[in-house]
Amino acid sequence: MRKLFIICLIAFIGIANLTCSKDAATTYAAASGTGQGGSLARFTIVGNCLYTVDNEKLKVFSIIDPANPILKKTIDAGFEIETIYPFKDKLFIGSTSVIHIFSIDDPENPQKLSTAISPTVMRRCDPVVAKDSVAFATLRTNGPCGGMESKLVAFDIKNITNPIQRASISVSEPYGLGYADTILYVCDRYQGLLIFNIKNAYNPGLINSISGNWYLDVIPYYNTLICWVSDGVILYDISNPASPKFIAKIT
Amino acid sequence: MRRSLIFWILILILASCDPKRGTWNDSVQAYVPVYAQLSDLESISLQPSQSTTKAGKIYAYSNYIFQNDINKGIHIIDNSIPANPRKVAFLKIPYSTEIAVKGSYLYTNLVNDLVVLDIHDPQHPVEIKKVKGAFPLINQQYPPYTNVYFVCADPKKGIVVDWQLQQMQNLPSCRR
Repeated sequence: MRKLFIICLIAFIGIANLTCSKDAATTYAAASGTGQGGSLARFTIVGNCLYTVDNEKLKVFSIIDPANPILKKTIDAGFEIETIYPFKDKLFIGSTSVIHIFSIDDPENPQKLSTAISPTVMRRCDPVVAKDSVAFATLRTNGPCGGMESKLVAFDIKNITNPIQRASISVSEPYGLGYADTILYVCDRYQGLLIFNIKNAYNPGLINSISGNWYLDVIPYYNTLICWVSDGVILYDISNPASPKFIAKIT
Repeated sequence: MRRSLIFWILILILASCDPKRGTWNDSVQAYVPVYAQLSDLESISLQPSQSTTKAGKIYAYSNYIFQNDINKGIHIIDNSIPANPRKVAFLKIPYSTEIAVKGSYLYTNLVNDLVVLDIHDPQHPVEIKKVKGAFPLINQQYPPYTNVYFVCADPKKGIVVDWQLQQMQNLPSCRR
C-alpha cells in the first residue's frame, strides 16, 4: 500500500512537472523562441502554453513538448469571442461586446480578472493590445459587430480588476492595431493605416496616415511593420516608428 | 401630343414604384453556407509559391512571415533580406485560418483539427501531428454578420467553412 502511495506520488510529481510552468517557460523560450501574431489572432502562445479561442471557449494546450500539444483546460470565456492577445501574465480576449481580461499567472489555469466595457459604444468588435498600464482597442460597429459608431479607445488598466475608459477617438471602420515604442498603428478600411503618437496614452494624437489599401492588421516586428491588407502583405521599415518607409507589397 | 407626354410620365412614375424592396429583378441577396468537402480534408501538401487569393491572418517568426490564405493554406515569405522579401512556398491546408509558432513548430487548424508542422526548415514544413476536433468550430449556425438573410445551415451536410453572399430568387427563412 505504501509502495503504491509512493508510486502515485512520483507519478504526480512527474505530471506536475509536465505543465506549462513559468520557470519552464523562461528556460525554454531562451532555447527556442515564439513568433508574433496580430491583434486579430485566435491562437496565441505564451511560454509553454498555446491558447486558442473559439466563439465561447478559451482552451489551454501544453506545448512543453512543442511537437505534441496536450489539451489541459477548457474555460467558458464569454460570447461571440473573436480575438486573443497576450501581454505579460495577462490574456486580453476581445468579443463583439466586451474585453475579457484573464490572468495566466498560473499558465494552465487562466483566471478571469475583469471585463472592460466601453460606456460609449455598446456593440462592436474589439481587437485589443496592451502596453504597460494601458489597453488600446478598436471598436468597430459595422457588419458582424452592430452598434452605431466606430472608435479607438484607451482603457486604464492600472487596476486590472477595474478597467476604466480614458480616451475615445472616432475612426471610420477600424480593424487590428499594434504599437512600436510610443507609436500606435491602427488599421482602417477607409482611412488606411493610422499612425498615432501615444506618448500620452490617454490622449493619442494622429500624426500621419497612409491610404491606398484596406488595412486589416499589423505586427510591429523589430524594425519591420508587417501589415495584412485585403490583397496580401505590405512591409514597412519602422526604424523610425513615426514614419514607416514602404519596403514591398506581396500579393 | 400633351396626352401622350402625360401617358409616358405616368408610365415612368408607375415603373419607379417597384414593390419588391427596390431590387431590379425578383432576386435578393443572402448568405449561403459553404460545407467542407470531405475529400479535401486530409490533403496537406507543400506547393510552389502562388499568388494570394483571399488574404488572411499574418504571423512573424524569425526571418519568415506567414500569411494565411483563408480556407486554403499558408503562404511562406522569406524575409531574411529585408529589402527583398519574397514568397518561397505555399502550404496547402484545407480550411486553415489560424497560425502560431513556437520553437520550429507551427500550429494551425484544418477546419477544427489542430495541426502541428515541423518547420525546422521553414521552406519545407512537415506535418507531424493532428489533434482531432481541438479547435472548436466557429460561425456554424449563422454568418458573422447581422441584419442579413441566410440559408439555414444543415448540420447533416457537414461543417460550415464559409458563408457566401449570393443572389437568390426567394428570401431564405433564416435571418439574423
